[in-house]
Amino acid sequence: MIRSIAQKEFASTLRDRRFAVLSALVLALLLAATLVGRRSYQAGQRERALAQHTVNEQFHHQPGRHPHRVAHYGSFAFRPRAGLSFLDAGLDSFTGTSLYLEAHQQNSVNFSAAQQSGALLRFGELTVAFVLQTLVPLLLIFLCFNAFTEERETGTLPLLLSQGVTMRQVAWGKIAGYGRAAALVVGPALALAAALLVGQGREASGPDLWVRLALFVASYGVYFFLVIVGSVVVSARQRHARTALVTLLGCWMLGCVILPKITANLGASLFPGVPKAQLDAQVHEETQRGINGHNPQDVHTAALKAALLKKYGVKTEQELPISVNGVVMAEGEAYSSRVYQAHFAALTRTYERQNALSTWAGLLNPYQAIRPLSMSLAGTDFAHYVHFQQAAESYRYQLVQHLNRLQTSMGYGDKERRLDAATWQRIPVFAYQAPPVRWAWPALLVPALALALWAVGLSWLGLKWLARSPVV
Amino acid sequence: MSVILEAKDLRKEYPGKLALKSLNLRLAPGEVFCLLGQNGAGKSTTINLFLGFIEPTAGAAYINGLEVAANSLAIKKYLAYIPENVMLYPHLTGLENLALFSSLAGFRYREAELRVYLTEAGLPPEAVARRVGSYSKGMRQKVGIAIAVAKHAQVLLLDEPTSGLDPKASNEFSALLQQLSGQGTAVFMATHDLFRAKEVGTRVGIMREGELVDVRPTAALNANELEQLYLTYMQ
Repeated sequence: MIRSIAQKEFASTLRDRRFAVLSALVLALLLAATLVGRRSYQAGQRERALAQHTVNEQFHHQPGRHPHRVAHYGSFAFRPRAGLSFLDAGLDSFTGTSLYLEAHQQNSVNFSAAQQSGALLRFGELTVAFVLQTLVPLLLIFLCFNAFTEERETGTLPLLLSQGVTMRQVAWGKIAGYGRAAALVVGPALALAAALLVGQGREASGPDLWVRLALFVASYGVYFFLVIVGSVVVSARQRHARTALVTLLGCWMLGCVILPKITANLGASLFPGVPKAQLDAQVHEETQRGINGHNPQDVHTAALKAALLKKYGVKTEQELPISVNGVVMAEGEAYSSRVYQAHFAALTRTYERQNALSTWAGLLNPYQAIRPLSMSLAGTDFAHYVHFQQAAESYRYQLVQHLNRLQTSMGYGDKERRLDAATWQRIPVFAYQAPPVRWAWPALLVPALALALWAVGLSWLGLKWLARSPVV
Repeated sequence: MSVILEAKDLRKEYPGKLALKSLNLRLAPGEVFCLLGQNGAGKSTTINLFLGFIEPTAGAAYINGLEVAANSLAIKKYLAYIPENVMLYPHLTGLENLALFSSLAGFRYREAELRVYLTEAGLPPEAVARRVGSYSKGMRQKVGIAIAVAKHAQVLLLDEPTSGLDPKASNEFSALLQQLSGQGTAVFMATHDLFRAKEVGTRVGIMREGELVDVRPTAALNANELEQLYLTYMQ
């Protein structure tokens, strides 16, 4: 029975010219967004790989220098684009692409697309995720709003039910039929995405990426199922198609526009973040209280020097087998790094609280569940960004401390000497390894749970409610 | 007498309105009961109660011994329904509509069989594969008849089924009803058409303001007497 109704809905939908036009438009948008996204991904990836290679080469081919000069010369960490970022760019356009790594200083990731683009980016990018999250639900609403109202208005519902089917069976049939129609619109774009992944070779598209893609497709499958079930339930509970359409468009506007903005603003006012300038000033102020390797009058430096003399049982710095300056630099770096990490962790916690508020709002609004889920699976959410930033900071710290150790080993009078060029070639370069999907699981849990609850709740309560709808 | 359709003190009230007042009625297999009455008299309410689309305020409706309200799904296999205005799915053809409704009733027919049902119901052969969106009301009504016949139901519930049919189609419909009645199908038909009621009915009932005020065997009345009786109650 359900299959017969599903087949009827599918056939009717395909023969409806309005749906054909709308779905062709959405499909074209999806395919265009996939191809444009892919092109932008490849160009971005190429540029970043080239830039990373260039700075790595420049670092390795420095002439003979003092290690601390090399530490100030620094390097860059370029954030590689996540494999599925062409489907959901997430925060990528706003979070920057490169980080300057140098001694004593933890810099921000710079050169985001938003920094380099005009005001047009404020309108949002045409990404596959945008089309899937906002436009496809709109298409589904137009497809399903009259699922029952039309049957009721034209009088086919009594005839249908007189054949011995229940409202619930009719609803499931319709849901299955509309689901097939939706798959026809969305399927080709996701198949294209899969084909593009296959095309980039095994190395670039490892099993982790396929797991991410599979979960991405499954998540959107559940999201569309919710939109279809919700629309069918609303249609069953309304007497007239116009009322059902207005109700559903109201829900769409509330879910896709109003609630996300409300929760974002609420999050920012409940958990206010520290402005960048203020954070820098706080870190600078606290760092000044610790050891400062560039200040000969620093009391901490004097104390450290005294401790070293005592440890080695000598009276003068000249007698020490190590460079005091190197040790001071290493201590200073460790101190400033601790200060920065504490402030950075506090700031990250603030942003995480803001994001968590929005993510928990997914229990009220499926759009706010699919958004973080989609970004997280695509590797373009805040957590993935922080992962890169932490990896880059960890590399910066290791690099600077390695150079400080080299300086320390040079002994007294190191400032007058240099290490040969081959030294820099032995230092490993920055190579970012994006985290696997299982790392992202904690971030996926709440939105996935919210979508699952919506799916179970709507299927159970919604259809129970629907079954009590009047026939005539 | 075996009873296939029965109403026992069947009553339906809406807020501020009594739609059906304690209906008591029994129909035997093969009987054709024509319910006459003005618009709003309670004819469609009665049919909807037998279909289980609305719940009675009091009393009960029975189909084949099963109480409709408690067995609203089970009783559907015994009955077929043709509304006043058969509305079908406009994007599907006549064949596809019949195949759909038949499959929902548990019958899967081959295309040739579907064509026979449709043409026997009076649909022109060249129209069966056309989309229903291009059908006239009469053609849709014929598809509705084919749907009812293909279901092999023991009870036919008809809500002014000949409304909008041309005289030839109405005549063919009457012949079909008589044929089904002869095969043991009970027919409960709400209609304004006194002529058709006299022609096909075995009994006629007159309903006024939700009350079945008179029931007569059609054999005991000629057409004029039936009209007079009806007009008397409608005054």
